[in-house]
Amino acid sequence: MLKTTIKAATGLHARPASLLVKEASSFKSDVFLLKDDNQYNCKSIISIMSSNLAFGDEVSVQAVGDDSDEAEKKIYDLINSIED
Amino acid sequence: MIFSKKTKEMFSPIEGELVKIQDIPDKVFSSKMMGDGFAIQPKSGNVYSPFDSEVVLVFETGHALGLKTKDGIEILIHFGLDTVNLKGEGFDVKVKEGMKVKKGDLLMIVDIEGIKDKVPSLVTPIIFTSGTSFKLEDIQNLSVGDKVVSFE
Repeated sequence: MLKTTIKAATGLHARPASLLVKEASSFKSDVFLLKDDNQYNCKSIISIMSSNLAFGDEVSVQAVGDDSDEAEKKIYDLINSIED
Repeated sequence: MIFSKKTKEMFSPIEGELVKIQDIPDKVFSSKMMGDGFAIQPKSGNVYSPFDSEVVLVFETGHALGLKTKDGIEILIHFGLDTVNLKGEGFDVKVKEGMKVKKGDLLMIVDIEGIKDKVPSLVTPIIFTSGTSFKLEDIQNLSVGDKVVSFE
């Protein structure tokens, strides 16, 4: 599990959410974003957009599966790079 | 035995002109990154539910709604392009996540006159995020309630 904060100024709206889903879908693992008691599926754009994760929110990236380490790192890096 | 009514068709949620997905002036949508679908160039800001479904997403700023039918068809209605930047201005959403809606229920009212000069486009992508196969009807001018899509 890797922790980071959302740097996207307008949160995870359609554009960044679809980049996240596209990246997560390339892995065999299930990939989730965790905030408080909530879990959001990185392979579902509706799930990510319904998270209402906003600028400054702390979030954990968790992947479950064969390529989970790689998946977590890729998604973690992607979230850190999204500023729009 | 429980019979689940299969959703066979979808009606236009907005009055306007049909736009093919590849003609949407935004690569995130036209590249089908989110899935296949179509768009509507709206003539009115009233958005109605295109089928019986549950509201699974109301984006904080109101410009994006997600609906899911009982048989798993999920759509994203994204009103306008880059409309997230309006931070909610012009969007009067009538529903909440978790609500069940019927075909024809009013979902939201968008002040299209008020926002049209503040965003690059009002073209509204409607994406089948569930990957459902669909057939687009051969219709250009859409009135609310016109059949726009049929499902196998």
